[in-house]
Amino acid sequence: MKKSSRVMVIIMAAGMVLLGLSTAGFAASVIKIGYTAPFTGSAAEFGVNGWRGIQLALEEINKKGVMVAGKKHTIEIKRYDSICTPTDGVANVRKLAMQDKVVAILGDHCSSVCVAIAPLCDQFKIPGLTIECAADKVTKPGHEFYFRMRPSVGLMAPLFTPTIVKKFKPKSAAFLVVNDDYGLGLASAISKELDKFGVKTVLTDHFERGNTDFMVYLAKIKKAKADVAFYVGVVPEGAMILKQAREMGLTESAKLIGSEEMGEMELVSLAGAEATEGTYAVSLWGSVPGDFSKRVTKRFNAPMHYAIIFAYDALHTVTRAIELAQSLDPVKIKDAMKKVDYQGLEGHIKFEDFEGYRNQCKFVPAIIKWEGGSRVPLK
Amino acid sequence: MLSVNRIALGIILIFLLLIPHIASSYVVYVAVLAILFSMLTASYDLLTGYAGPLSFCHAAFYGFGAYTSALLTLKTGMSFWLALPISGIAVFLFGVVVGYPALRLRGHYFAVTTFFFGHFMYLVFLNARDLTRGPLGLGGIPPPDSIFGIDFSSLTANYYLILIFGILMVGFLYALVNSGYGRLIVSIRENEDLAEAVGVNTAFVKVMAFSISAGLAGITGSLFAHFFRLLHPTTFAWMTSEMIVVMALVGGIGTLVGPIIGAGVVTFILEMMRFAPELRFIIWAILLIAILIIEPRGLAGIFARIRGGI
Amino acid sequence: MEIFLLQAGNGLIIGSVYALVALGLNIIWSITDIPDFAQGSFYVIAAYVAYFAVTLAGVPFLVALVLGMCVGAIMSFSCEKFLYRRWRERTFRLAARTQLLCAIALFFLFANVANALWTSKAKIFPAYLKGSLLGFSYMRINVLLAAIILFLVVYVFINKTKPGKAIRAASMDLGMAQVLGINIDTVNSIVFIMGGALSGAAAVLVSPLYSVFPTMGDLPLLKALVVVILGGFGSVAGILICGVGLGVLEALGAIYISSAYQHGYSFVILLLMLLLRPKGLFGRV
Repeated sequence: MKKSSRVMVIIMAAGMVLLGLSTAGFAASVIKIGYTAPFTGSAAEFGVNGWRGIQLALEEINKKGVMVAGKKHTIEIKRYDSICTPTDGVANVRKLAMQDKVVAILGDHCSSVCVAIAPLCDQFKIPGLTIECAADKVTKPGHEFYFRMRPSVGLMAPLFTPTIVKKFKPKSAAFLVVNDDYGLGLASAISKELDKFGVKTVLTDHFERGNTDFMVYLAKIKKAKADVAFYVGVVPEGAMILKQAREMGLTESAKLIGSEEMGEMELVSLAGAEATEGTYAVSLWGSVPGDFSKRVTKRFNAPMHYAIIFAYDALHTVTRAIELAQSLDPVKIKDAMKKVDYQGLEGHIKFEDFEGYRNQCKFVPAIIKWEGGSRVPLK
Repeated sequence: MLSVNRIALGIILIFLLLIPHIASSYVVYVAVLAILFSMLTASYDLLTGYAGPLSFCHAAFYGFGAYTSALLTLKTGMSFWLALPISGIAVFLFGVVVGYPALRLRGHYFAVTTFFFGHFMYLVFLNARDLTRGPLGLGGIPPPDSIFGIDFSSLTANYYLILIFGILMVGFLYALVNSGYGRLIVSIRENEDLAEAVGVNTAFVKVMAFSISAGLAGITGSLFAHFFRLLHPTTFAWMTSEMIVVMALVGGIGTLVGPIIGAGVVTFILEMMRFAPELRFIIWAILLIAILIIEPRGLAGIFARIRGGI
Repeated sequence: MEIFLLQAGNGLIIGSVYALVALGLNIIWSITDIPDFAQGSFYVIAAYVAYFAVTLAGVPFLVALVLGMCVGAIMSFSCEKFLYRRWRERTFRLAARTQLLCAIALFFLFANVANALWTSKAKIFPAYLKGSLLGFSYMRINVLLAAIILFLVVYVFINKTKPGKAIRAASMDLGMAQVLGINIDTVNSIVFIMGGALSGAAAVLVSPLYSVFPTMGDLPLLKALVVVILGGFGSVAGILICGVGLGVLEALGAIYISSAYQHGYSFVILLLMLLLRPKGLFGRV
């Protein structure tokens, strides 16, 4: 199989070159890039927002065209639904690699799927770039052909915890996290870092995804008298937590710090500026240019979401790699991915190998404060 | 008619054997999933099609077998060839324990209870983190150990392995339902009180049908675990149980062939619709209702009608 | 103690939502023998319609509630009239199977339609009332009050009115009811309209507390099915007690035992009950 796919790649590359020579400089030809993401099921919001970001990037790229070996190309995205399940994600990647013959694969959004598809990228020798999987093991120990831009759960905590300790000087911390790999992983990573500064974790509680009633959890946190309370989940849960925390006066006694999603504008639109006032959030992006936000609003009539930014950066990153490689050979594109050095909306994108991680970017997440319904990045 | 059937069977078998040589690895992968689902629906048919009670927890046994086999090989270093029968037997025994009380219930009571049992098992897979690693997924499961010099780490070898097990399982089920025991099961489906009156130990026969069906799903789970080498609770959530029920009913239960064809057809249709991610399940649900309107007995019913049957 | 009371109260409120959905399911199930999974998706659509009515058209909450009930009733009525009814004349086992499969297909269909139309991102229903009593917001208390009112209405309807008596007769002996001249089509339509309206009401009542999203119907549906079996058929009061009891038990279990298995307790209770009292806690059969 490996042999046959290698042969296939060579034939494909040869075919491309021939095609390129015969029609050089004329009509644009198409570069196919795959995208696997959840478009249905409980994680559909990530796929839907990611697809928005990709569409925005695609418009920009195709307007200009991608010059490869002196010839103008346009990009075509093949996208399939993974429903956030590993078996479907693998079917998608196999289809993208074998039927659609894409040169690179974007996705997935769910860690469980990323873990399943990363080895396939090695097997098919096609570069893959996850949009937002957070689990450490996606890039640690990692795969030659699989890349990640965002810092993983284990990387994030050491990066932002000192800021929190310096800023709030807390003595005790409480965690209210969603019961999945992301919530549990992040809570234990932060807790471990806080421990190094002598900050005690007094309470860790988890709730099921889709939970809407947090009064009791919040009452327990208030009783434990924690100085900082971390809450980890997605925006609808976070909005409910903030509303109910305000209702019982928890926001006065503790500093509330939310996970990534709680730094999204959507939080304000759901919870209201009043409920978010004076709370904090860890955010992977500090601020985006105003006209990008405007484009999102104008085009989709939707608030900004990090999946939009991540997916937008992801397609630009891969396009950058194709331009650097000056080839449509996936292996060459993979090599070029390692040379990409690009300032994305979310941060500085440069894939490195370090501390057991492979093909991983390293940028410092921001901490933002909600003031009057807008994000104010902390220094 | 019999010879026509035999010829059709032969053609299908040859076609199945040829798939890895004529199709891409994507098609082979989908074919493996289709065969696994065929095994699940065929074993499901023993309980629901032949014995009668409608069950919604087949994926729970599938998952139980998968996790048992994976954990046995991971924690004790046991060989796959030993873990496979052990997980089958374990799930069979588990089926006895669950089936004995549950099968005292009749009709939709039983159906809804199994529905909950399926959900409960999913919660166990999700939350027994020390064993299953919960939402992180259980990875690093070894492929089946090589025997006779065949290395089972490749997709093609796995395809043949699972195909052979599929044929064996269907053969076993075929022999079972055509045996005296099979006729006993059907007699219970047709009239449980009458069967009881003539001295059939209906509870025992039903519990056996339930447990054998569960045990076969467990073996399928073991095959899946060592083929996919990564287990995640969502693979065994209630959605999968529903899918098994739908596949079996679309094919037409109580025929053994129907559910197998149903699994193939449904897998194929869902794969065909990958191009329309958001609409996939909408089209699918409408198609399902359309099939029900045309012929409630499923594809087997349509075939019977074409052949001028009932 | 404070936590105990708070959580018990919340369980009471969530339980009354289970009970509302279960009441509709129970009436449908006892007459037509269909565990109507599709009610879970009418719940979702009703909540969305009410949400859009409030946010886009700015109608008062009470109007949205009635609108949600109408949407649930119309969907439920149409599904019975154009789909389930079609298979009623088939042999019993085939009919039961087909109707159940169709109900599941409808459940898939509408949940995914909601996902395609409005995405899976949850929408927050604006609060229609401010203030609270003993730590419970008025909106929470209203859920309980409305549930009690709806239960009373259903109770009176079933026990005191003529169509109600026809329904009771049909639930006891369908064949005999037909012999006595009860039009079974009409009875079916009435029970499905009631079921849909109750599901819609439950959805709209709970939306302002929580949020509106395509899979919001899954858990209430699951729990309502348990409540139907726990409560046994034909007992309106039994459904209310079991629904509320299940809600409270779950809420307390989440705090004192484990929140991870919160949605598994209902199964354990169900299994215990089935072993001890297979006819349901309040079954009259």
